[in-house]
Amino acid sequence: MDLWQLLLTLAVAGSSDAFSGSEDSSGNPKFTKCRSPELETFSCHWTDGANHSLQSPGSVQMFYIRRDIQEWKECPDYVSAGENSCYFNSSYTSVWTPYCIKLTSNGGIVDHKCFSVEDIVQPDPPVGLNWTLLNISLTEIHADILVKWEPPPNTDVKMGWIILEYELHYKELNETQWKMMDPLMVTSVPMYSLRLDKEYEVRVRTRQRNTEKYGKFSEVLLITFPQMNPSACEEDFQFPWFLIIIFGILGLAVTLFLLIFSKQQRIKMLILPPVPVPKIKGIDPDLLKEGKLEEVNTILAIHDNYKHEFYNDDSWVEFIELDIDDPDEKTEGSDTDRLLSNDHEKSLNIFGAKDDDSGRTSCYEPDILEADFHVSDMCDGTSEVAQPQRLKGEADISCLDQKNQNNSPSNDAAPASQQPSVILVEENKPRPLLIGGTESTHQAVHTQLSNPSSLANIDFYAQVSDITPAGNVVLSPGQKNKTGNPQCDTHPEVVTPCQANFIVDNAYFCEVDAKKYIALAPHVEAESHVEPSFNQEDIYTTTESLTTTAGRSGTAEHVPSSEIPVPDYTSIHIVQSPQGLVLNATALPLPDKEFLSSCGYVSTDQLNKIMP
Amino acid sequence: MDSKGSSQKAGSRLLLLLVVSNLLLCQGVVSTPVCPNGPGNCQVSLRDLFDRAVMVSHYIHDLSSEMFNEFDKRYAQGKGFITMALNSCHTSSLPTPEDKEQAQQTHHEVLMSLILGLLRSWNDPLYHLVTEVRGMKGAPDAILSRAIEIEEENKRLLEGMEMIFGQVIPGAKETEPYPVWSGLPSLQTKDEDARYSAFYNLLHCLRRDSSKIDTYLKLLNCRIIYNNNC
Repeated sequence: MDLWQLLLTLAVAGSSDAFSGSEDSSGNPKFTKCRSPELETFSCHWTDGANHSLQSPGSVQMFYIRRDIQEWKECPDYVSAGENSCYFNSSYTSVWTPYCIKLTSNGGIVDHKCFSVEDIVQPDPPVGLNWTLLNISLTEIHADILVKWEPPPNTDVKMGWIILEYELHYKELNETQWKMMDPLMVTSVPMYSLRLDKEYEVRVRTRQRNTEKYGKFSEVLLITFPQMNPSACEEDFQFPWFLIIIFGILGLAVTLFLLIFSKQQRIKMLILPPVPVPKIKGIDPDLLKEGKLEEVNTILAIHDNYKHEFYNDDSWVEFIELDIDDPDEKTEGSDTDRLLSNDHEKSLNIFGAKDDDSGRTSCYEPDILEADFHVSDMCDGTSEVAQPQRLKGEADISCLDQKNQNNSPSNDAAPASQQPSVILVEENKPRPLLIGGTESTHQAVHTQLSNPSSLANIDFYAQVSDITPAGNVVLSPGQKNKTGNPQCDTHPEVVTPCQANFIVDNAYFCEVDAKKYIALAPHVEAESHVEPSFNQEDIYTTTESLTTTAGRSGTAEHVPSSEIPVPDYTSIHIVQSPQGLVLNATALPLPDKEFLSSCGYVSTDQLNKIMP
Repeated sequence: MDSKGSSQKAGSRLLLLLVVSNLLLCQGVVSTPVCPNGPGNCQVSLRDLFDRAVMVSHYIHDLSSEMFNEFDKRYAQGKGFITMALNSCHTSSLPTPEDKEQAQQTHHEVLMSLILGLLRSWNDPLYHLVTEVRGMKGAPDAILSRAIEIEEENKRLLEGMEMIFGQVIPGAKETEPYPVWSGLPSLQTKDEDARYSAFYNLLHCLRRDSSKIDTYLKLLNCRIIYNNNC
């Protein structure tokens, strides 16, 4: 035992880690692997070393020692396991016995290793890999097979000396990655649902149970399925899809022909509905038939053209005349009040754009017309007959309101005019949202905006004056005295307070408003970059808020005067994106006569002329 | 062992526990320990006994391998092979066959008594191993839990083997002497290196002996139940 210990200590002292494969920079031979394929024999291999050519062959020797044989012995077989190897047959192999081996070169120990045989088991690959067909699917697309193999012949599994575990890999022929199955203890495994038109490859490897190292893979087995005989398919029953399709098409065609050429109009209508002819929007023939005259009249009233036509039609004149009376009654309140008294839906019309040079007659786009009969009330008011009357009244009211706005946040001057507007305020919900959005940021604006009377002057259309980078749409406040613009123009003394107010939304603007706007245009422009700060819940902000900010940033007292009439129409300044347009909100019309008369649309050229 | 293997083993462990506990608890109820009418009537239960015994021994070998690897990784890097080579196991005195030919020539009675001797001789060391690993500072739970598990499984396997022995060799005496372990002082020494070395040696011996038991049992199983035709 002393000799054993001494020798081992010496051997250990001059060696590196037993099982590492570290490179030996000195070029000496090193052990690469010791392996037992069946727990009965084992062999050890070593590298030659870099400078083997310098050494005489045969100078490398391997010695081993066992606990029960306490002396170093030389390798019994240098040949059987190949070059640079030592083979220990079964008589030299003792399981569960520690071995130590050493490699010497010219007498000097160059490597050393200790192990037990049961720790180095690495079986040979399985043999006899083959497959048999289990069954084929009815569709003859898939098949199940059974893959079988034999354990390595040198392993004695029958006796139970070694228990093996197998791992099967498989893949399609053209794939690169192998798929693996879970380890098995048996020598066969079924594979299901393989495609008959594809080829597969399988391989299997094995290891002793309870160890980690697998042996080498077996040879790859190629699985190809023989081509199915076409004749075999004839006997199979195939659903006569072809016949069914043909007969189905024929039957369908016959039925269609019968229907098309038959006199059964109802069925014909059902299957081949008539193409609807273009209808004039706004006039539903059924309405005419049913006699809903009021609705029809309101629709008709929107279009002056149609009115003329129907005047010629005796049967309709009566109805129209009646309706003409009605708008007069209705114009007691402002049109905007009536409009504002409607529900949300109608109030959305506020944000529509008003059109045209001809005045208020065609107020709305056709699709909105259909949805909203009440809106036509306003247009009724704008009819030529009643227009001056109503406008005047409205102008007075609105001008008064504006005066109130100018004077103080809380207006008591015209309670009468405020009455309807108060009502409007209550009922009109989006408006406060709109206004309220700006309230939080601008106190000065708050007072004025919260003035209910100002709502009376709010038109239903708001012009998009700008689009903030955040995507919020900036509305230009409409011209408060939209309906009263001509009157405002003709009454200059009234004009001034009118225009001093905010124009919540306007399709038109007057010269005076334009002038004001020009004066304050720089402020507006200056504020355009502040827009991002107005990001609020509402997607709309008004230029009122902008202008008030401008005013506030300047001088507070200028707030009232910083009301900038924002034109309803502006030229497109920048097309920023598919989603946005930046409107050139600074363009203002020149006070041309033609503008005075119509107080209407300002063209781009005129705007450009106005621009300072 | 890799994590995949350990997760698979965790599932199989539970199954093994249930199976073995059922086996050992219900053994008295389901079948008689002795075959009154000869071996013919007991073949089925003997087969089950062997199957379960093989499973338990396989499990013990797994656990001891994992425990040894854990310990080697944590405490004994670089010094392992010294202690393995220099020290011997307390069960070395048992005349166990060292290769296949020897095992084939060994009678199944002898093999079984050797197995029983090995199992009995490990009762005491396993008990102390658990105690000392608990006391070892910074002992990872992986080692401690496995030590506890191995101790319990060892007892179970011993009971199972005694039943098998009683069936295969009726009337044989079961009081064979077994090697006594005396390595407790080295486990409790103050010298930390020596202590770790003693632990390492003990775990290495445990792994080796569990491998022996596992192999001998498989051998017996194939020989007795399957007639050398596994």
